[in-house]
Amino acid sequence: MKIIACYSNKGGVGKTATAVNLAHAFAEAGSRTLMCDLDPQGASSFYFRVKASKKLKDASFFKDVERFTGAIRASDFDNLDILPANLSFRDFDIFLSRMKNSRSRLKKALKAGGSDYDVVILDCPPNISTLSENVFRAADCIVVPVIPTSLSEHTFEQLMDFFKANKLERKKILGFFSMVQRSKKLHRETEDRMRKQHRKRFLDTSIPFTSEVEKMGIHRAPVATYAGNHSAATAYRDLYAEVMAHLK
Amino acid sequence: MKQTDHYCLPLKTASDLPDLKFGKLTPIATGDETSRAFQLLDTFDDTLSGAGKLLWDTGETLELLTPRDGLLRQPATRSGPFVTDLADGPVKAALGEVSPLRALLPVGEGDIQETRLSLVDGEQKTRVRINLRLLTTQQGESVAIVTLQGLRGYDKALAQVRKQILASGGAPLGEGSIYATLFPGRAGYVAKPAILIGQDEAAYHAANSIIGTYLPIARANEKGIIDDTDTEFLHDYRIALRKIRSVLSLFSGVYGEKATLRLKTRFSELMSPTGRLRDLDVYLAEKDKFFALLPATLHPGLAQLFDMFADQRKEAQTALSNHLKSKAYRQEVGDLVDLFAKGKKIKRGPDADRPALDYSRALIWKRYRKVCRIAAGIDAQTEDEEVHRLRIQCKKLRYLMEFFGPVFPRAEFQSILKPLKRLQDNLGLFNDYSVQQDNLRALLDDLGRTSEKKNLEIAQSVGALVAVLHRKQLEERAKVMKSFGNFNSKTTRDTFRTLFHDTEGKK
Repeated sequence: MKIIACYSNKGGVGKTATAVNLAHAFAEAGSRTLMCDLDPQGASSFYFRVKASKKLKDASFFKDVERFTGAIRASDFDNLDILPANLSFRDFDIFLSRMKNSRSRLKKALKAGGSDYDVVILDCPPNISTLSENVFRAADCIVVPVIPTSLSEHTFEQLMDFFKANKLERKKILGFFSMVQRSKKLHRETEDRMRKQHRKRFLDTSIPFTSEVEKMGIHRAPVATYAGNHSAATAYRDLYAEVMAHLK
Repeated sequence: MKQTDHYCLPLKTASDLPDLKFGKLTPIATGDETSRAFQLLDTFDDTLSGAGKLLWDTGETLELLTPRDGLLRQPATRSGPFVTDLADGPVKAALGEVSPLRALLPVGEGDIQETRLSLVDGEQKTRVRINLRLLTTQQGESVAIVTLQGLRGYDKALAQVRKQILASGGAPLGEGSIYATLFPGRAGYVAKPAILIGQDEAAYHAANSIIGTYLPIARANEKGIIDDTDTEFLHDYRIALRKIRSVLSLFSGVYGEKATLRLKTRFSELMSPTGRLRDLDVYLAEKDKFFALLPATLHPGLAQLFDMFADQRKEAQTALSNHLKSKAYRQEVGDLVDLFAKGKKIKRGPDADRPALDYSRALIWKRYRKVCRIAAGIDAQTEDEEVHRLRIQCKKLRYLMEFFGPVFPRAEFQSILKPLKRLQDNLGLFNDYSVQQDNLRALLDDLGRTSEKKNLEIAQSVGALVAVLHRKQLEERAKVMKSFGNFNSKTTRDTFRTLFHDTEGKK
């Protein structure tokens, strides 16, 4: 079982769209996939039309594996289940910290609940203050969307510093450029500069800025399902292929 | 985790389905309606239908509707009519209940129309999926099968939809035969029917109804034997005749003495042309086992032996097939059917009017005592002949118990029938090894008469086989005393006594 964290320490960068489209691409390729909506503001559950179950105030939520697995809902797509936004990132972090070997324990917990997933995708909240080492340690890779602007460049540096300071494996970070407008000089220059600066940290794929991605909110579905031939859908498929290659 | 269940729906409900409301859920069609030709397949004895499964061939794919795993598919290509002839795949894997000896035969043909629906909530999120299949035969008979597929986390919705389907007349697949609806007038085959015998019914009537039931069962297998569809037809044919013959020999005194003798001869004559083919069928079915018994150096001879068996089987099959098609056979078997269908012409014996319960208790008790007496005399030194006698008596006891089963309380009856079956397995193997040795020895004698060179090779393999079978027979022989002990526990003894001997056992 592989764990992919979709993370950005800056909001509004297309992180949730990435989690949703990536999860859909994994499922479509035949991987049994679970997408966990850990971002209370995020909308990945919304995109899959899965209603959040009752808010769980209890911090010991994850003590009870049955309640964890019992909250999982099937999406309308084969191979793709959703853990809706009914827990806080903090809860999940505590859950992982309680597990010494997080990944195998998480896998066992899921399996005990009757689900054996190949891939778990975490839609993490964009919050630097509660940045969790546990999630980063448990994840096989951390997919980080970056808009090629100065501010994004700055927050990406912060993330790299955090990894360095906490002795986390930086090679787990798979950055990619999101909401890219190649017509803008600033975007082109920032992208080129960052690719040079962090040569191994960026994937080749870029997701273009396009209204098709924004329309996910209207369709409430992954891009590939309503605009399969659009450049955005192609870009997400490329992104999937690159992430998949890194997992092997 | 997939959860599926299938229901037969009344046609009216099925056609209304796309417009129905399921609580807060609304059906929306997903994908196009499709239509394909199908040919339903099952064994002669409807194994699949009995297990609540439906198997059809669309020409391209083989599809199996199962209660547990929903619809399974695999390419339709296959090298023969048996499950072993299918390519490996999910359908083949889910056909475990089908005997490897039974051919899959066409039940009938028609078209399948398939409609897929999603039941969505207010957010347009699917909570339950419905697959509606309308099977229509060339004769215009239809059956609607609805498959519900639950989605993880939406158990409540599934339960609600299931409830509504049941309330609107849906019947779980497997309850009642779809074949009967699709193919009215189709005669289903049951090898072991429950024969209703009342406790006070006259023994004469009981005998008539047992024979009157098994004769048509024997006859139902004639076509399969003639067409050589699979070897189970002949097997069932012989079992039905054997049961009839055991009624004649066990129910002494029910028919007049001369009538009994005459019937015994007539049924024995029906049976005797079938033995040769059956023996060869058994050999050929056990081919792999025989090869496993001998070292590879002796395999070439064995292969030649089996080629010879295969040739002989062809001859025997043709001979039996011609016999069954002959005017003489048809006349004779037809006369017998008539005789028992009317059941009046046979001369009554002294026990004809005894009530079935009373009569069967006496017969079973007598037979049981006989089994015990023979078994008591068997030790390591006893002649094999006695073990054979024990086997034959056990078989008679078993038949008696099966005939009269419905007269006795089921649970207690089963509690003594099961250990009896286990004892018979042991004795049966002992006998098989013994008979096979005899046959192979006879074959050696035949081979000795010709001086062909290849026969020497065969003879070597046969000789080795006889030695191995002899050893196996000894192994089974050594188990007999213990098996009998297991059968005749104190509980068994008490149950036999209560059911068949004690006066207060009468109910």
